[in-house]
Amino acid sequence: MTRYRIDLQDLLFGLFLVAVATGTLVATRNLTVGHAADMGPGYMPRVVALALMAFGLFFSGRGLWRAGRGIAPVQLRPLLAILTSVGVFALTAERLGLAIASVAAVMLASFATREGRVVETVAFAVVLSGAAVLLFVKLLGLPIPIWPR
Amino acid sequence: MELFDNLLMGFSTALQLNNLLFCLIGVVIGTAIGVLPGIGPIPTVALLLPFTFGLSPASAMIMLAGIFYGAQYGGSTTAILVNVPGETSSVVTCIDGHEMAKQGKAGTALAIAAIASFFAGTMATIVIAVLSVPLSVLALKFTAVEYFSLLVLGLIAAVVLAHGSVAKSLAMVLLGLLLGLVGIDVSSGVARMTFGIAALSDGLDFVPIAMGLFGLGEIIANLERPAERRVVSQSIRSLIPSWEDLRAAFPAVVRGTALGSVLGVLPGGGAALPPFSSYALEKKLARDPSRFGKGAIEGVAGPEAANNAGAQTSFIPLLTLGIPANALMALMIGALMMQGIQPGPQIMTEQPKLVWGVIASMWVGNLMLLIINLPLIGLWVSMLKIPYRLLFPAIVLFCCIGTYGIANSLFNVWLMMGCALIGYFFIKVGVEPAPLLLGLVLGPQLEENFRRAMLIADGDFTVFLSRPISAVILAVVAALLLAMLSPAILRTRKEALAE
Repeated sequence: MTRYRIDLQDLLFGLFLVAVATGTLVATRNLTVGHAADMGPGYMPRVVALALMAFGLFFSGRGLWRAGRGIAPVQLRPLLAILTSVGVFALTAERLGLAIASVAAVMLASFATREGRVVETVAFAVVLSGAAVLLFVKLLGLPIPIWPR
Repeated sequence: MELFDNLLMGFSTALQLNNLLFCLIGVVIGTAIGVLPGIGPIPTVALLLPFTFGLSPASAMIMLAGIFYGAQYGGSTTAILVNVPGETSSVVTCIDGHEMAKQGKAGTALAIAAIASFFAGTMATIVIAVLSVPLSVLALKFTAVEYFSLLVLGLIAAVVLAHGSVAKSLAMVLLGLLLGLVGIDVSSGVARMTFGIAALSDGLDFVPIAMGLFGLGEIIANLERPAERRVVSQSIRSLIPSWEDLRAAFPAVVRGTALGSVLGVLPGGGAALPPFSSYALEKKLARDPSRFGKGAIEGVAGPEAANNAGAQTSFIPLLTLGIPANALMALMIGALMMQGIQPGPQIMTEQPKLVWGVIASMWVGNLMLLIINLPLIGLWVSMLKIPYRLLFPAIVLFCCIGTYGIANSLFNVWLMMGCALIGYFFIKVGVEPAPLLLGLVLGPQLEENFRRAMLIADGDFTVFLSRPISAVILAVVAALLLAMLSPAILRTRKEALAE
């Protein structure tokens, strides 16, 4: 991996922490903080958020200061395929039933790699879907519709 | 003898027919995921958690524990035959194990690995049984003050002893703590950070988080690497090791077991650290260190014994004090809480049947594993031929269904999707996600005990130092943190983990 003037890994992680800490402080701004002997619901979130903020600033600063390794380039194909697969499952599972949602999820996930062959993927998706219905609905009693309602 | 009474009670639980069955299911699943690279015990246990609702607490724990130590057996098979670690704990076994396989001694290597694992498993079961009683007696003296200090020690030690940068791991623990705070505050009834989402009022489920971070994030990152799996198709000749092999391996097995047992108990240890240490030790002790890396049998026997012993003794803090030593134990705590059992120092006195049942089941499970692994080795080898392109869509699907299954909520599936993205981000920026899971699971307990301690002491922070047990625990924490700052130790740690 090429070396960079800044440590991108540290910088990104630091910025992520700062963002989370800021979000927390904003989201909990209306909660009572109280004091140590009588803590309000806002006490712990604030303490943790401030500590996270400190870590975040430290990593961001160190990331800018020292040289470091870059980040291996992000490949969109696997990332998008897996996330879409999960998202489509969430959208379809209760409406279209487990059988169809499973086939869709497996086929979409298969797009993550170029190795897949269409016929194999379709057949495998149907088999897996059948196995999932048998295992989770019939055997383990998961309350989820099998077919569209 | 109290010890024998306890063990007897444990065996009477572990040998019940249904518990034997769940133990078998656990170790078979464990071996399977151990053999398959790319699926670890953490997402598997997370996946199966929802379906342990219907079981008795003992059956559930026996099965989930079986998955963990079963995976240690399975991992070595892949390491020896394919030179790819099935689990992180079997990385070391690749070195000499695969070398032995290349020399046509695959059968011997597999047999030695299984026998070493069994020996270590048996000894570790005894260690757990012997150590559990005194630790639980000590635990009964604990109030909220001591328990808070102990939780802090658990978290800090897990961070210091585990892989990766200490500062980043600490930040991850805090992140986990923060996520654990989401939901309705128990003492005031006020919603915190729920953003008006009803599904969040009970807090975040840790299963979708664990599956997203460890399961899916890992898959996405795996798919970015070019596929490299060369299955060594070689026949496994005799599985019975010769007398000389056994004699050469035995001292290494004993040392590995001892080392693994000690390192396993330490928070952050678990199954990852012991094999590395054992390999280093064997190499140092060997009369001819140059044999290592060229198929030295001690290089298989020692680390295999160490990872099994470590995997099992990492249950000690959980079973006696209710403190998880690693991310997987954090999931086990989650499993207990789902069963309505509050993990903590009182667990041994309140749930003796459960605790001793799990301990006894470990030995039973190890016996099963020996049988499952040696004669049935061909079955596992054929499983290795399943290509990853078929494996990962199946894992994605099962993660989706399993996550939905915890609370029949689609919200959890969306949460898992978000965590998959974050998990991928963590891998990209080189941060270990395990401490986050520890923080998440321990967060609510930490806050509750802190608040209770503050109530007892009327807001006086010095209470943590004025009580002797708590002061000692915090002194250990301070020592650990100071040690991390010392450059000499920092260097040795880096070397130890890099090897």
